Amino acid sequence: MPPTKEFLENLKKTPERLRESALRVGKLPETDRERSQSTFHNLFLHVQSVRTHRNSLRFAYTFGLGLILTASFVVLTITGILVMVYYKPSTDLAYQSVKDIHFVVPAGRFIRNIHRWAAHVMVVAVFLHMARVFYTGSYKKPREFNWLVGLALLVLTLALSFTGYLLPWDQLAFWAVTIGANIASSPREVTEALGITRWFDIGAFQKQLLLGANHVGQEALIRFYVLHVAVLPLLTAILMGVHFWRVRKDGGLSRDVTAEPPPALIRGREVQVFPPTKTYGLMAVVRGRTPVVGRAPEGSVPSWPHLLWAELAVFAFTIALTLALGYWFDAPLKEMANPAIPENPAKAPWYFLGLQELVSYSAFMGGVAIPMIVLIGLGLIPYLDRDPRGVGKWFGGPEGRRIFWVSLVVGLISVVALLAFTVQFGWLRNWFPSIAQLAIIALNPGTVIVAIYVAWSLWTLHRTGSIRMSAIALFTCFLAGFIVLTAMGSVFRGPNWQFYWWPSQWPVH
Amino acid sequence: MKLSPDPSRIFKWATLAFSAISLAFLVAAAIRENIAADWRDHQLAYRTILESKANDAGRAAARTFPIEIRQVSVPALGAVDRCVTCHAGIDDPRMADQANPHKTHPKRLLEIHRVEKFGCTICHQGQGAALNFDEAKAENFYWDYPLLPASLTEATCNSCHDPRALPDGSAPKLAWGLRLFAEKGCGGCHKLGGKGGSLGPALDNVGLKTKHEFVRAHLKGSQTTWNWHERHFRDPGGLVPGSLMPAPALTPAETEALTVYMLSLRRGEIHSDYLAPDKIEEKYARLHPPPADGEALYQRFCSACHDTGMHARWDRKFARFVPAIRNRAYIETEDDECLAENIREGRPGTRMPGWGQKAGGLSEGEVDALVAYLRRSAPPMELPPAPQRGSIARGGELFNRQCAGCHGVDGKGPIAPALANPVFQRAATDAFIAQTIRAGRDRTPMPAFGRAGFGDGEIADVLAYVRQWAPAGGRSTQ
Repeated sequence: MPPTKEFLENLKKTPERLRESALRVGKLPETDRERSQSTFHNLFLHVQSVRTHRNSLRFAYTFGLGLILTASFVVLTITGILVMVYYKPSTDLAYQSVKDIHFVVPAGRFIRNIHRWAAHVMVVAVFLHMARVFYTGSYKKPREFNWLVGLALLVLTLALSFTGYLLPWDQLAFWAVTIGANIASSPREVTEALGITRWFDIGAFQKQLLLGANHVGQEALIRFYVLHVAVLPLLTAILMGVHFWRVRKDGGLSRDVTAEPPPALIRGREVQVFPPTKTYGLMAVVRGRTPVVGRAPEGSVPSWPHLLWAELAVFAFTIALTLALGYWFDAPLKEMANPAIPENPAKAPWYFLGLQELVSYSAFMGGVAIPMIVLIGLGLIPYLDRDPRGVGKWFGGPEGRRIFWVSLVVGLISVVALLAFTVQFGWLRNWFPSIAQLAIIALNPGTVIVAIYVAWSLWTLHRTGSIRMSAIALFTCFLAGFIVLTAMGSVFRGPNWQFYWWPSQWPVH
Repeated sequence: MKLSPDPSRIFKWATLAFSAISLAFLVAAAIRENIAADWRDHQLAYRTILESKANDAGRAAARTFPIEIRQVSVPALGAVDRCVTCHAGIDDPRMADQANPHKTHPKRLLEIHRVEKFGCTICHQGQGAALNFDEAKAENFYWDYPLLPASLTEATCNSCHDPRALPDGSAPKLAWGLRLFAEKGCGGCHKLGGKGGSLGPALDNVGLKTKHEFVRAHLKGSQTTWNWHERHFRDPGGLVPGSLMPAPALTPAETEALTVYMLSLRRGEIHSDYLAPDKIEEKYARLHPPPADGEALYQRFCSACHDTGMHARWDRKFARFVPAIRNRAYIETEDDECLAENIREGRPGTRMPGWGQKAGGLSEGEVDALVAYLRRSAPPMELPPAPQRGSIARGGELFNRQCAGCHGVDGKGPIAPALANPVFQRAATDAFIAQTIRAGRDRTPMPAFGRAGFGDGEIADVLAYVRQWAPAGGRSTQ
């Protein structure tokens, strides 16, 4: 073949060969075998196993929450990079640059709105995802460590949202972060009460570490910016990688391994099943022969296309949701930050308003002790509850379902009753004005509600003899407390943290 | 095995549906954010007007009038004003007959204040960065300084001009407001430039306050600072419960003028390139005060509480009498040093604040001018000759029955002026005291005992009793 002709021939075939080399197979897969290969030959797809258990595809089992989280993180990254192009992290310029994003950057307002609402979607989804994983017992062996990774991701999500809150440099941002920083300095309440602040001022140290100064200013803004655009997203992306990888290595999504293998049906339709061609056990990376640990593959379907379409649908849903929110609702932007005009009430971001409500009783308990107790308690769950039964079933079965409902009612009633009591009659300081602060730190509505919840959980343990049931009782109670306290802080607290039935009743200030 | 229908169908449909929704929002947003913006329509309309107005030479240029965001950036004022995006013809005199937003700026003000140098928001306030009218007006948006209504825009003239030096009629409301502030005696309670009373807040920077710095719990209607001022002038207590401010009798026009003046009070530093020479002179005039004018000072700082000073008045909010300080009867009983000291230090236990250099900000010269004015302007008083002093014992009996209720058993007076007071005893003559008992003190609560059955004997007795408080070496006869 003459070289010129060969050259032209190669040129002609280049698009086809490019496609072949990129996709390896060179065409859309047609058989299950090719589908498997497509999956593990692709950097982005091989995070899934080539086959997926049909239980994992049940919508009512996961509600797609993990994927909603992933999708909103992707949306946030893309829109975040776009707004980052125009944003200027300086107290003089930040507000004006956000205004310019709003007014003159083409579709800048839309992009910023999407970023804001996707952040809220992510925070909501992270709580729901945790609840889903807990109630289906998915934290149990061998998934204990992934539960901890998930907890770290929860904290990172809140931190990402909180650091982003300051960046617009408006009144909302300034005072929310001022409140947040004051929560960070709340150990001072204890050191003051003990009279050791002079030697050991951990509260001030934490606040200064957060803000880089004693007040919210340029130092805080640049710190929050660096955390928000570099440190935290990187950490989150890494931990998400670990989280996914462990899901895979721990045998896919949790399910009831004792159950009979269901017929190979999805939504009433038969699907082809295909025995694995690879023995994963040989690679000594998982226990057992196949990624579907301990089970034959009859309950599974090829990830391509079943899982991929499901995932794509959830991605598309999340994007549509954030676009719709961003189209109809403008992200809040109040007046430029002005340290001379405090917002009243100054409120933290909504997901911290439960804590702020507790902080209003005792800064140390609400700001440090109770959140730490909750985080440590959550982290300990998989190591205290070693009962392997009930994995992969909502609430672990009918008994757990009953405990859930009863605990939900107990949790709601006790926290609402306690709040109503506090609003109506006040607390120790109102009755004994000269009482020692240490007494209030030890005994306040926050500690009382925790005590009630722990007592209820212990009673459940005593009654059922099951650590799992008492864990469900405790988790449900805290969930109820979280919801009610957050609602209290967001809706029912007005200027001077007074109780109001609705924000429209607040006096204009 | 039967070939099953595709089990992923539902997910495929969901993906398709959600993708279609996303696409719809993206397209809608792209149109809304970029193509459907109001300012584009305004500029297209403006281009048509421009073409119709242009002569043959300018028509080609008018036809290529670019449709784009326009802005005036004034770094010295911190302003980036995009108002000219819609008001493209604001400095084009040919547009005088057009409707807004294409209309030329009225009064040809922009010939003196070029848009490129001043921008728009330095005079009009509002959100200059905005590209739609609602957000530019910013009254119901989170913005500290919404667009001033045209009727109040004069307020901002004061930022760079001395209103007294402006040509007549250029800022009439502002100049009137400034005069009203002095005439109505607002300085009696409010400090301005360090001078004034202390019962109300200082007003130096009140024009730069945002609505959040006002008590708006009872503010009806528009939540703007100017609406607050106008309503507050009409009914101070209705807006600020417990306010001591009297409701001044003001016409609506006066209210508006004073509101303009309130909005004009801004201490913000404006780059000196932008200040009119008279404004700079106004700043330094304080170092060279004109000779003090007692009458003007009285009007400015005293009249709000003492009114004309010719009569005592019961103040409902203070819950006490405000003395008649230009009453000859009072002036006769006080010496100059005592008057000056009362002005300088105030009257502890009453609402009368101190007016000395460190309190009310009046200089020694001004205090002296006030004292001189009080003494000079108090109308004279005709006194019949003093009677011979009578019996202290009888006088004491009468005093305890008739006088002690107001002047106190010890003569130190819980309500009425203290008689056991060396200054009073030195300044007041017997003739004056006797006449006061006989005829009362004009326009004060002191009654005329002569008309209530006191004969000359009783008056002489009471006079003797009152005189027993005279200090040694004090006035003894006359």
